Amino acid sequence: MISDRRKNALIFLIPSLILLGVTIVLPLAYSFFISFFSVDLKYKGLGAFMGFGNYASALKDQYFMGSIKTTVIFSVIVVVIEFVLGFAIALLFNCKIKGKNIFFSIVIIPMMITPVAVGLTWRLLLHSTLGVVNWLLSFIGITGHAWLADNATALGTVIFIDVWQQISYMVLILLAGLVSLPKEPYEAASIDGASRWQSFKYVTLPLMAPTFLVAILLRLITAFKTYDLIYVLTKGGPGTATEVVSYYIYKQAFTHLKTSRAAAMSFILLLILIPVSYIATRILRNRNEG
Amino acid sequence: MATVQLKNIKKIYPHSESKQKKGLFGKKKDEEPEKKHNLQITAEGTVAVQQFSLDIADKEFIVLVGPSGCGKSTTLRMIAGLDTITEGELYIDGRLVNDVPPKGRDIAMVFQNYALYPHMSVYDNMAFALKLRKMPKAEIDRKVREAAEILDITEYLDRKPKALSGGQRQRVAIGRAIVREPQVFLMDEPLSNLDAKLRNQMRSEILKLRQRIDTTFIYVTHDQTEAMTLGDRIVIMRDGFIQQIGTPHEVYNHPHNLFVAGFIGTPQMNFFQTRLECENGEFYVPLYGTRFELNEKQKQMIKERGIEPQEITLGIRPEHVSLCKEGGVEAEVDVSEMMGSSVHLHCSVQGEEVVVIVSGLELGEEHASGFSHGEKVRLHFDSNVLHLFGADEVNLL
Ligand SMILES: Nc1ncnc2c1ncn2[C@@H]1O[C@H](COP(=O)(O)OP(=O)(O)OP(=O)(O)O)[C@@H](O)[C@H]1O
Ligand SMILES: [Mg+2]
Repeated sequence: MISDRRKNALIFLIPSLILLGVTIVLPLAYSFFISFFSVDLKYKGLGAFMGFGNYASALKDQYFMGSIKTTVIFSVIVVVIEFVLGFAIALLFNCKIKGKNIFFSIVIIPMMITPVAVGLTWRLLLHSTLGVVNWLLSFIGITGHAWLADNATALGTVIFIDVWQQISYMVLILLAGLVSLPKEPYEAASIDGASRWQSFKYVTLPLMAPTFLVAILLRLITAFKTYDLIYVLTKGGPGTATEVVSYYIYKQAFTHLKTSRAAAMSFILLLILIPVSYIATRILRNRNEG
Repeated sequence: MATVQLKNIKKIYPHSESKQKKGLFGKKKDEEPEKKHNLQITAEGTVAVQQFSLDIADKEFIVLVGPSGCGKSTTLRMIAGLDTITEGELYIDGRLVNDVPPKGRDIAMVFQNYALYPHMSVYDNMAFALKLRKMPKAEIDRKVREAAEILDITEYLDRKPKALSGGQRQRVAIGRAIVREPQVFLMDEPLSNLDAKLRNQMRSEILKLRQRIDTTFIYVTHDQTEAMTLGDRIVIMRDGFIQQIGTPHEVYNHPHNLFVAGFIGTPQMNFFQTRLECENGEFYVPLYGTRFELNEKQKQMIKERGIEPQEITLGIRPEHVSLCKEGGVEAEVDVSEMMGSSVHLHCSVQGEEVVVIVSGLELGEEHASGFSHGEKVRLHFDSNVLHLFGADEVNLL
């Protein structure tokens, strides 16, 4: 009976399995395979077998390690700001306010624009001589700052733009969590004599804890993989100020044509992300069972 | 310790906004229209409670009863401050509290759906209100453990509500209320999920609690025994209206109308369609060829109130019908329910059902285990305890 059902299920799954296989598993397996060789797009063929040579050299590559550091700084700051601000916005949207739907649509808009468009838009806005931002700032006496070209402000500016775009994602997850909170405990709390602040502290926060973790971890993973925004805004510059790991790997593969090195680096990145996503799925599963 | 006064309270639930998208992702509200019974529906919405006036004395135990959906919980929630009062005035301890949030009303409540804090252990659920009051830890601990002992949930103190059965959760909900010493206790069917034995036990615990804390109680229940044994006064509701307010004795012996008569008492009162007749100035009620003479008190009242002969519904409680050897009315047994100390006989008399309670003492040898289907019996109706309801369903006497 059960094996019959499984057989049937398998038949229906085959098309999507093939599709996934061709588009995800095969490239993944192939890149894993070539990460052990010395593949260089300038030359034909697999090149020499390197064992873990590519991995070793990646770990010794100070620019690679530097890009990981930049990524960590970028991701942590972005997620912290988005979380704090996003939760505040979500709390506002969870109240009864007039015109909520309109504001909500506005908050959601940035999320629906592709990062490349966002990047281009902001590059124009921030243009040092022609941009609206500097024009506005000139009224309060700040003139001609090249936000994205200055070592001191480049990463901060990129972070600002990423927050601007991605915060709606955070708002959405947290708001979904808030909306689905049971309302009975709040009634009980008000009977028990809790003030609004106490309800928030003793009921909302603990009940939201799993949602917090999931939102933070999911966003951490996507922040770690940020690539397109950097590509459009700064190309990792000035110098390596905004060079995040995805962009660095891209450069290895398509500028320096060191395909197998890039593959090895990608797998190192994957190794960093797996535990994070494992924890996230564990929490999600626990919550669904509870 | 407080009086509670409700003055012409009315609650209208506005028409649901489900058509205008509700919440994020058009989330469905859980209390969307189930069955609306016969609640009045106006332009503003569903009228769940209306014309509710009641003066509750200090330390009184009031029980609200009525069929499902009649507005008991709504009334309680308005007193608690969880639902807004659409119209009317609510005073607690002489203070108008219509706009006072629950926190400022000094009440404790047992919720019908328990409303436990899912993330807190049983202990913390019960201790929460005390912690908010900054009570010393040792005292909190003493009170929580004492309540847990009373409710027999000591062994679950470390568990989360999720890991408890319905009855256990309900006891935690009671525990959360009784660790406090509020001005008013509100309890919404606090014993509904307990087994019979536990329910009896908890009922007496509530009586003890009342003696100990000695405060005002407002208690909602479906259970007649609870209503009768606990209440100083009982409020019977139907479709948002109060039907009768009275002591257990009053509502049982002098039901104000047909609804109350049918609602209070199990098995239900027997009803017969008949007439109030008058012959030579003497009132009587004919039933199955016999004549019920009214007693002196009843005749007096009929005279005083100037009641005319008319179509009536005659009500006689099953315990006021007895079996007799001869005379009376012939009946045939349909069902015989053995209740232990007594037997409930469902008989048919000329096609109508009459329920009779026969106590064990009257059963005799041959009927020790009840009656069999189709057996012929003779019924005697006790005319001293008749209830006469007029065409408007109101008790004539
Ligand atoms: N939020 C609401 N919106 C609209 N109607 C409601 C709402 N809450 C309750 N009602 C309606 O008001 C009426 C009274 O409900 P209430 O919960 O007070 O009944 P109850 O007497 O406590 O019933 P039960 O014995 O089943 O608990 C019901 O008909 C119900 O459908
Ligand atoms: Mg109810």
